[in-house]
Order: sequence, then structure tokens, then C-alpha cells
Amino acid sequence: MSYIKSYGIALPHFKIEDVVLHPKGKKGVTKSVCFTDEDLITLAYEAASKLELSPSLREGWGGINLKPDAVLFATSTPVFKSRYHASFLADLLHLPQGILALDFTNSTRSGTDALLLANTLIDSGNYKNILVVAADVHFPAIGKELSTPFGHAACAILVSKEVGVAEITAAKSYSSSLAEEFSYKINTIQYDPRFSRDAGFKTNLTNSLKDFVTNPKQYDAVILNSLYARMAGGIFAKAGFEETQFAKDTLISKIGNTGAAHGLLLLINELESTPFPSGRAGDGTILLADYTNGTNFFEIKTFGTLKEKVVQEQLKNVELINSYQDYLLLRKAGNYNSANYETKEMFSSEMMQEREKDTLQYLKGLKCDECGTIYYLKSTRCKKCKGDKFSTVQLAKHGTVYTLASEHYFPSSFPPINMLVIDLDGGGRVTVQQTDTMYPEKNKIQIGSKVKLVLRKMIENDAKPNYFWKGIKI
Amino acid sequence: MKDIAIIGIGVTKFGELFHQSYDDLVRDAAKQAVNDAQISMDEIGAAWLSTAFPEIGVFKGRSGMDLSEPLSLYNIPVTRVSNFCASGADAIRNAVNALRAGECDVAMALGVEKLRDRQPQDSIVKMMVEYGHPFLQKGFTAAGTFAVYANRMMKEYDLTREDISNVSVKNHLHGSLNEKAFYRKPCSLEEVMKSQMVADPLTVLDSCPTTDGAACVIMVRAEDVDKTKHRPIYIDGIGLSVSTGWDLPFFDPNHDFLSFEATRNAAKMAYTQAGITKPIDEIDLVEVHDCFSIVELLTYEDLGLCKAGESKDMIRGKSTQFGGQIPVNVSGGLLSCGHPVGSTGIRMVVEIANHLRGTAGERQVKGAKRGLSHNIGGPGAIASVIILNKEH
Repeated sequence: MSYIKSYGIALPHFKIEDVVLHPKGKKGVTKSVCFTDEDLITLAYEAASKLELSPSLREGWGGINLKPDAVLFATSTPVFKSRYHASFLADLLHLPQGILALDFTNSTRSGTDALLLANTLIDSGNYKNILVVAADVHFPAIGKELSTPFGHAACAILVSKEVGVAEITAAKSYSSSLAEEFSYKINTIQYDPRFSRDAGFKTNLTNSLKDFVTNPKQYDAVILNSLYARMAGGIFAKAGFEETQFAKDTLISKIGNTGAAHGLLLLINELESTPFPSGRAGDGTILLADYTNGTNFFEIKTFGTLKEKVVQEQLKNVELINSYQDYLLLRKAGNYNSANYETKEMFSSEMMQEREKDTLQYLKGLKCDECGTIYYLKSTRCKKCKGDKFSTVQLAKHGTVYTLASEHYFPSSFPPINMLVIDLDGGGRVTVQQTDTMYPEKNKIQIGSKVKLVLRKMIENDAKPNYFWKGIKI
Repeated sequence: MKDIAIIGIGVTKFGELFHQSYDDLVRDAAKQAVNDAQISMDEIGAAWLSTAFPEIGVFKGRSGMDLSEPLSLYNIPVTRVSNFCASGADAIRNAVNALRAGECDVAMALGVEKLRDRQPQDSIVKMMVEYGHPFLQKGFTAAGTFAVYANRMMKEYDLTREDISNVSVKNHLHGSLNEKAFYRKPCSLEEVMKSQMVADPLTVLDSCPTTDGAACVIMVRAEDVDKTKHRPIYIDGIGLSVSTGWDLPFFDPNHDFLSFEATRNAAKMAYTQAGITKPIDEIDLVEVHDCFSIVELLTYEDLGLCKAGESKDMIRGKSTQFGGQIPVNVSGGLLSCGHPVGSTGIRMVVEIANHLRGTAGERQVKGAKRGLSHNIGGPGAIASVIILNKEH
């Protein structure tokens, strides 16, 4: 079968409480929400970048056998049509052109669909390492935030033929002709919920459990990702499971239902949890069932307790959105600050971005062979020593603020925009915007502050994909 | 050097000149200069037009013909000069060189910019927001590109926000004496510091407004000066330097954000030509490119009027105020006159010439013999220093 070699997750910096979305919402129940310059591409990139940082993959991407030879991208909220998110992401990650890159974009089950195919491809012997990334960024219609499941997140898993933190020992998908709610062309169609629940969900789950599970008692944790999860107890009981085997979805009340990413997030959260619901710690067996218009089943064996707690750490690193007004501003549905004016069409050129990709996207700099000064921008002669021979170097994504300016008049939903002049660790200087500054006073950066670079949208008006680096406080 | 003499000067009022078109401004400044030089328009042998940003103005000034047309100045070479905010000074430099080369005997340099036909945020801000590289520097307005200097200088030296804002207080006081300035009202330190923040620590009153305006000089070789009708002012030194790029200052690890290398270079060129070794003692007044108040402080140091880190002492000691040791921006500077980009460098030269002639009226710096005008462009990347002398 295949192994989970490493993983990474990305949650936006901001969350909103249900009670802020609507007076009838619950206090303390929150949903992850993208900032104005985030989307599923930036979240997916962030999650995938963290694979490198995960201690389970100490060698990093550089590890000879670990560079992905395929990227499978899953989302229920695609931003592209007639363009593969997977190949776009592969390019951002500097993976070679021509790599197998496939999209799964039709359903909230697509995250585990991608995992299923990754497992099969590894099993076939033709692929060694497959990057599975699931990301969802759904903004419900204004006023329907409590009745529509949403929450923004991305999750990346490196599926490998090499031994990793867990092994996928069995995987199978069971289709169902009945969906609970779906779209047909421009219309949304819903069966009578009782019909879709009984004839669809219950029937499909009952039959597939019968086929997939031979020994229900062997599982130390059972994860069910479904809108109907609460009604599944009886079905599992009939199939011979105990209530104590179930891993509760503790994420949904914190980050919301993150769609295509949710099933994989629940799996990662369980890998990092100890002990398992069965009471065992360390080695164990997990059953993951992901239902939407059919069920994907996975049997996963873990090897020892994981030290990493990336899910819990990410959950801590958040800021709450204060008001519905701010939420509207974030969605660009409100009025701009009076001192400001609307984001205008800014010049941008696909050709330029393609030409300058090494600099703009991959942060490749030039090091003067003579005096060693490192430049971010290309140059013919060294500004310092006039040497004309340079070598290409990889710049770091973290550094120290040398000087800065807060711009109150550059168009933004949340002015001012802080411009940071950053001396990167190891050399090179860049100037970028600070981001995640809905409440600037909470993220104050000064000369000398340590910052890191994150990939974000540059142009807020969503006219075209425009991803570049911005700074956030470490 | 003193081989070139300014014999005619003209400057329009600076401000929101809704009643005057681009062409009207050209005619206004040119006619004043031609009359002042007591020549006829036909005697002009070559001309240089300085307009920096036609595309954020009224689309005029894209070529030299936008000078020819309003003046009916045909059948001579006319060239448009564009070097960002230093375009005006560069037009003068080009005219000087043509006179030296013998291309013409009488040269005109005219700067004009018409920015207030647009909403304020449709001019320079629009340029920074919508034009340029889609990623590099995106997020800056002009104010921010200088605020990064202010913040670093405050960190490095014992410089305070009050020192920076006091430049604005001084220049607005001076502007109240200049009938051609846009803002003619003195303001208090509190008013400057409490006005709308533009790019921390620079407020609206720390920033120059964009305005309409034109300025013109007519020059000849020194030997062609007719003392019976001309009141010549001589070019003692003229330097211009491009010392970095549009993006580079913000990506150059060598850059300390405490100084403009271009100003230092241009000053060195001009001082060498003029034989100046101790500028504070050898220059009587200075016009500095105070687009934002911090730039004036930084320029004291770059021009060698004081040592690095000591500009604060000059503003605290009021030595650059009218009546002080070396008055700076007696015109009110860009902070009071506003900044019709292409004309600013020429307006400064006209200002100095008026003082050296003794025709500066209420704000006359008494006994001024030698003056300096300093004009920068881009993010401090380009600088011009011109030294004018009353005596040949």
C-alpha cells in the first residue's frame, strides 16, 4: 500500500465567532476566515510548504527520494476554470513542468478522492511520492453564514512508498447515486432531506461498512466526515462498532466545516492525538470514512506517537474578527475607509510574471562573486564593488525589518498598509507589504522586528491571479 | 565656471489654476522670461520643455512640440526632458550644455505641469497604485518612499517627529511671504503633527501638494550678456547624478536610508566647479527639494551644510529660517508652493535668481551673492545641484 510520509496544514490567521455572524449564533463557536489577500491557492501553498518543515521529513524536499512526482489537488471551491489548480500549485512549489498534476474539484469528498488515487498510484509502483493537497475557501451568501457549512483551510499530505508516520493499509470508494444537495447547471437541487438521508447516506454507509470492515473491534479510532455524522451512530452500532471507538470532530466548532480539506484535517488531527479513543497510545489503527454522495474508506496504521502537534498549534495562532462590519469589509462588501478609495485596476502582466519567475516566485537572488553582497533584484554590476560576476542563490523567507512606512493612502480594505524593508537572514533585502493587519495595532512591527514572508494575493480586486510575498510578524 | 548667464526669468503662480490651461501656463511663464530678458521670441535658438508626468496630468508635455505650439516657437530644436521630479533642473542642464557646445546662442528651459485638473488621488497616488511593476514597491505612495527614511533616521539619530514637522512650520511661515505660493498661511507645530497621517510619521502638512504651475529661464553664454539691458545671474556650478534606480533603493542591502547618494554626488560636481569647499560659509541661501519635510533635513547633511546626524541641530537652532545663518526654502519650498513636478527645479532657480538680483521683495535675503538650488527625482535616485552667482 502506501505511507503518509509528511503533512502540513494551513489555517488563516483570522476566525469569526458564530455570534458575530448572527445574533443567534453560538458564542465560542468559530470559523476560520481568509484575509482579503488569501485564497485557496495561498492556503494550499502554505500547507504544502510546511511539509518541508515537518520534523517527520527532516531531510526536507531535498531528500533524494522525496520530491513529489505527482500533485493531486482537491477543492470544492475552485478559483480556476479551464486551468489546473494542481499544475499552478506545482509551479509555485518549483516542481518540474510535465509532472502529473490532477484536479479533483467536484465535491467536498474530493480531498479523500485524491488520497485514494494517490494510494492507488503508489501501489501501482509507477510513482514514489505524491503530494495531495486539499483546500477550501467558501464564502456563503451574505446573511446565510450560519445555515451554510464553511470554514477555510488547506491540508497537504505527502503520500510515499517509503515508510512514514502512518501506513494506508486499505482504501476503497463506494459510490451512491443519491446526493443530499447538488447543483444542476445554475440550479441548486435538494431532495426531501429524509429521503436523501435514508435512501442515500444510510444505505450507502451500511452497505459499504459491510464490505470494507471485517473486524470492527480492531479500530482504535473511527473518523466519520459527513454532514450526517450525528445520525450515523446506529449504523455503526449495527455493524459491530462501540461508541467509544469514535473520534469526535473537535475541529468543526473551531474552524468550521472546511469542505474538501475536512476529512484529511480530521485524519491529521487524529494522527497527532494521543491516546486514541480506544485508550491505546502509539501504534494503532484508524478507520476514516468520508461521506458525500458516496463513501471513501481508509484503514490507516500508525507507528508510535507523533511529537508534532501542528493542528493544535495552528488553532492557537488566531485573531478574532471583531464585528460583522469588519467581516463585510474583508469580503469587500462594505464601504472603504473614507480616507481611501476603491482598489483600482493595477497594471499586471502574465508575461512579466513568467519571465521574472525565478526572482518573483522562487526568491532567487544574485551573489556578487567579488564582494559577496547578495541582491534580490537582477543587476549587471555590483552596486558596492562593481564586480560583474554573480552566482544565483536561494534567499531565505525570513529576516529583520530594517525600516518601514505605514501607508494610509494606498487603497486597502484595512488601511494603513505597512511597507517593510526587510534584511533577509543570510543576505538580500526585499520590500514587501505587511499582511494579516485587519487590526494594525495588534500586529505592530518595528525596526528590528523578526518577520517571515508568506505568499499572498497582491491585487485585492480579484481581477487575476497575482501572488507575491508579504510579511507577517513571527 | 560662470560661463553661462541667466538673463530672463519667469514664474507663474503655483496652485489650483483652474482658469489656466497647460498652454496658458507655458505662455505666462515664457512671456515673463522673454520680457525680462528683453529679447524677442524669435531670438531663442533652442528650447527644452520639462513635464514629468503627462499621463497623470492633461496628456500634454509628451514632446517638445507642446512647448512650440503655445508659443508658436517653430523651426528650432525643442526637446522634452523627463527625469522624474528633477526634470526641471535637467532641462536647465541640457540648455547649458547646448550653449557651451555652441548649438545655439539663446536657450530657453521651461517647466510646466498641470496636475489639478485631476482629483488629488488621480495624480501621483494613481501613478504609484496603478502603474509600475505589479509587485515591486506595490503598497507605497510617494510619501511612504520617504517615510522609510524618516523612520530609519529617527532610529539612528536623536531625531524627533517634532524636528521633522518643524521643517514644515518653517517653510509654511516662509510661504506666507511668497505671493506666488499655493499655501500662504503659517501653521503651528501642533497643526502639522495633528493633521491627517499620510505615511507615518509624515502628515498631510509634512507633504507637499501637487499643483499647477510653470517656470522659465532664458540663458546665454556669459560673453553675450548685454549689461545695458540684462540683469545676469551666472551658473557657478551644475551637477546632476543618477545614483540608484526606481526599485533598487528598496532592495539594495548597501543602502542605509540616511542619505541620498545622488545629492552627495551632484553637490560634489557643483562644488568642484564653483570652487566651494565650505558650503555653509560660501552659500547665502538654499532652495531644497522639500517634497516631504524629512527630505529637507536629510539634504542639509547631503549638501554638507552639517555633518551626518546633525540636521536636527540646524532646525532646532533656526539657522535655516529666514534671517538665520543660511536660510533654506525662503520661497516656502514645495511644502508651500506645491509641486508641479516638471516646473519645480526651474522655479527654485528663478527664486534664487530673484534673491541674487535683490528683487525677492518681502522675503529678500539681504546681500545674497551666491545661492544653491537642489532638485531630486524618483525615490531620491536622481539629484541636481545648481549654484548661482551674482558676480561673474
